Order: sequence, then structure tokens, then C-alpha cells
Amino acid sequence: MLSDRDLALKSLQYRLQTLELIHSAGAGHTGGGLSCLDILNVLYNRILRVSPETFGDAARDRYVQSKGHAVEALYVVLADRGFFPFSDLETVCHYESDYVGHPTRKIPGIEQNTGALGHGLPICVGMALAARMDRTGSRVFTLLGDGEIAEGSNWEAAMAGAHYKLSNLTAIVDCNTLQISGHTSQVMNSEPLDEKFRAFGWGVRVVDGHDLAALTEALSGPAEADKPTAVIARTIKGRGVSFMENVAKWHHGVPSDAELAQARTEIAAAIAALKGGAL
Amino acid sequence: MKTLRLEFADTMSEVGQCDPRLVVMVGDISHGILQGFAKACPGRYYNIGICEPTIVNMAAGLNKVGLVPVVHTIAPFITERAYEQIKLDFGYQHLSGNIVSVGGSFDYAQLGCSHHCYTDVSLLCHLKRATVTIPGSPVEFNTLFKKLYATDGIHYYRLPERPHGIEFAASDLVPGRGIRLREGSDLTIATIAPQLSNALAAAERLAASGLSAELLYFPMVKPFDQELLRASLGKTKRLLVVEELSAHDGLLNLCLRAAIGLPGFSVRHLALQDFLHGYGTHEELSERAGFSPQGIAKSAHDLCSSP
Repeated sequence: MLSDRDLALKSLQYRLQTLELIHSAGAGHTGGGLSCLDILNVLYNRILRVSPETFGDAARDRYVQSKGHAVEALYVVLADRGFFPFSDLETVCHYESDYVGHPTRKIPGIEQNTGALGHGLPICVGMALAARMDRTGSRVFTLLGDGEIAEGSNWEAAMAGAHYKLSNLTAIVDCNTLQISGHTSQVMNSEPLDEKFRAFGWGVRVVDGHDLAALTEALSGPAEADKPTAVIARTIKGRGVSFMENVAKWHHGVPSDAELAQARTEIAAAIAALKGGAL
Repeated sequence: MKTLRLEFADTMSEVGQCDPRLVVMVGDISHGILQGFAKACPGRYYNIGICEPTIVNMAAGLNKVGLVPVVHTIAPFITERAYEQIKLDFGYQHLSGNIVSVGGSFDYAQLGCSHHCYTDVSLLCHLKRATVTIPGSPVEFNTLFKKLYATDGIHYYRLPERPHGIEFAASDLVPGRGIRLREGSDLTIATIAPQLSNALAAAERLAASGLSAELLYFPMVKPFDQELLRASLGKTKRLLVVEELSAHDGLLNLCLRAAIGLPGFSVRHLALQDFLHGYGTHEELSERAGFSPQGIAKSAHDLCSSP
């Protein structure tokens, strides 16, 4: 398993690669990608029992990114994990490329097409139920946005997940507090999410969504008996780039050349600091 | 040419300041450009968030107590996802309101197929009391919205991302009426927004090669201007339809597509024209709709006796 320091370095590298990808493509969801990158990092480098070699195995763990718009961050992590070469990402959003602005199963490593919000959790309830019926030992994870949680289908699925006692199911909510038009609390307040999931019968863990050790513990700890697990990850939209953090316009903002250069400088400084000034 | 989305925002401000019943509800879309309406009409703008079925439910509730709702978000989510709410809460309950979408067809191409929508127009056309408008320029939306929005019905407006760029006068725009842009004798080209500009360019190209195309444009498809189409087809006998909509719209569509290229043919159609209101057994409702031996035979006689 990667050390905490190496994992932290990966987070910084993923941030830079995600920004470069969005800049190159000329489109993408920047803020929400940066808010969930540490979660994706921990999932793919410490938690999920899946690899390019085992992606066809029935017993593999499943990950469904319900907040599909943050696909650029997922592309970067999947490329780093060897599901496809980084060079594939040069075609993102190009004519006839399979690498479009939401996940599709045409891309190696992606389990489920998403894009319309509110589908990931319900389908994961079905996948977790099937894994239990088949006794594969497979675990199912999904990542939701806190704006997305307004879709009523999530709460029907929350009810079903608890009803069927799906302890092999984990829903992570990327609570970055912003959606496309402003603060989620002002558009449609979904808090307190921990109490809501508890009331639906889920085991709940609230963590700093940028604390890699805390995320590791929350995602690897045993589920409460006969309960699915909700991990409420408190995150910052645009995390890691000073002028993007907590600014709603970066929901789908694309950095200019100058903005990318500034972001590169900030991330390089963070990498240098992490390496003790070795860079 | 101004975008349809900006015209939507401006029209809401214009109408909202004249009609205190108008309420605009959005699903986390176009929030910035609607701030003019929000300021001009305080208390009548709501960004409900990402919960489209509930937005439609709420809009029906507003109309139930006398307000005129306008619901707005991305086409697949407000039509395909929330169709039961539109069908039952507006249709079955006989309530009225306005649904304004963006992102129909493949306007959001870069976001992938989850954000495509080819069936919205068809879905809304299924509903009795629905009107379906596909405005291709700002004046089309402004004029037709003002004529329709407060009338009885479920009014759907699909706003293309790119206007077709062809200017019309407000006086050209009458609900349920198409527009003949070009007269011709060899074939009829029927189209909707935003493909009008391509169809017009094609007609000009055809003229240069000796083919005379009559070009019909339909800012509304429900009600549909049958008279305009029939008059044109009666003259040209050939029809080319250009539309950014699903080709799989029902059996009639399949049959007509299969018959393309055959010499002159006649058609009849037994299908559900509207919802079958009223109780009864399946057999009783079938007979009312014409699905009975005598109903089918009658249609067959009609077909065989027609010239």
C-alpha cells in the first residue's frame, strides 16, 4: 500500500493532471473534480479491489460515479491505475472520441454510464443486492454530489439499501457545499445529511474529505451490522488552487493559459513542500 | 442573433412585469441570466435545485391556486425524467403551465448521451391539451410565448442552443401555423428549428441543380399546420422531412419510413390519438378507440374505397 506521503503526492499530481486535461479539452467540471480527487485517490489506491487485470472478475469491487460530471478527475485516476494510457486523454471531448464529459462504459474501468443525476445510488443498491445473492464478496461504492442529493431517487434508494440490509454498500457524499448556481444550502438545503442517513437506517461516518488517513479509515472500517454505510465527506470545491476554492463559477469553468500557469505554480509549491523542498 | 436562452430571460422579465401571476421555477439552470426577472418580480423566482419531478409537481400546485408557472431546465430531465408528473399532475388534473427546456437533441454534445434528448417533443405531443413550440429565433419565442403562456394547456417550448439566424416578423408567427419560406414544385422540404438554415441552404443548392424545392418551416408542431403540408404535398408529391428528433416515434412513423420510395400509397392509422379518459373494461375502451373487428374493418373499407 502507498505511504501517506506518496498518496498525498498522488493527490497533487492528479490535481495538476485534471486541470491540464480540462484546459486541453476546453471543457469540463473543474471545481467538483478537485473536490472529490482525494476520495478517488483513496478509493483507487487503497480501498477498491479492482485493477485492469481483474475488471472482468465477478468478485471485483464496483465503483459508480453518480456525480458523473466530475469525470475528468476519474479519467486521470483510471489512467494512473493503468486502465488506459494517459495519451488517450488527448482526445477528451474531441469529435467521435469515447472520452466525453460524463462516464461511459466504453472507457476501460468504468462500470456504469452516468450523467443524469440521481441514478448512481439506486443502481448500486441493485448491484449490492446481486453481489449478496451471488455471495461474491463484492463491495459496491458510489460517489454522490451534495447538490445531486436533492434528486428524490436518492432517498428512495436510501430506504431500499437499509431495508435490504446492504452492508456491502457504501455511498460517499462529496459535500463541497456549492452547485452550479451557488450555495447548496441556499438552493435546496439537504443538511443535516448525517442525521438524514441515520434516520433512513444507515451507518454514518463524517470525515474531512481531504484528509487521506481519515478517508482511508472511514472507507475501510467494517460496516455496522446489517447497515449500508454513508460517508459524508466535507470537501472544498476547487480544492488545491487558491482562486478556485469555494467559487461557484469554477463548477464548469475552464482555466485560461494564465490561470493554468498560476495553478501549476501553486501545486508545484505544494509538491515541493511535501517533499521537504527537494524540488 | 441573440440566443434563445437570453430571449427567454428577457421575455420572462417583460411578461412578469405585466402579469403578476407569472412564476418562474428553474432546476439549477440559467440562474444568472434570470436575475433580471428575479429583481423585477420579487418573490416570483425559485431555483428549486436538482429535483425535476418535484419542480413539476410544485408548478402544478401553483397553477392549482391560480398562478401561471414556468418551469425551466435541461430537456431530458424535465421531460423524460419528470414525464409522469407532467402527464398526471398537469394532464390528468387538467392544470396549465409552461415548460421551457434547453439542451434538446444533442445541443449538449460534449456532455455525452445522458444529456441528449430526442423524445421530448414526441412525449409532449402525446398529451391532450399540450402545445409544442420549437422556436428557432428570439422573435418566435417572444411572440408565441406571449400568445400561449396564460391559455389553457401544457405549453412546451424547446429552445435550441443555436438560433437558425433567419429573421421573421412577429406578424408571421401564429400559433399552429407553419411558414412557407420558398415555393417549389419538385419536392417539399419540411423542417423545424434549428435546421431551417441548413434546409434553406439546401433548397438554394437544389435550385442551382434544377430541382425546385418548396420549403416549409414549423415553429410549432402541436398544433400542426396540416393544411400547409397537404397543400404543398398535393403539388409536389414528394416529402423530405428534416428534424432533430427521434425517428422512432411509433408505428405510423415506422410504416411511412418503410414505404419511402414506393409508388403512390394510401395510409390509414388506428392508434391512440389521446388518453382514453373514463372507466371501463379494456374491451370497452378498445372499442371506443377503434380496436375492434368492426372498427378495424371500417378503417379497412375506408382505406380501400379512397381514391
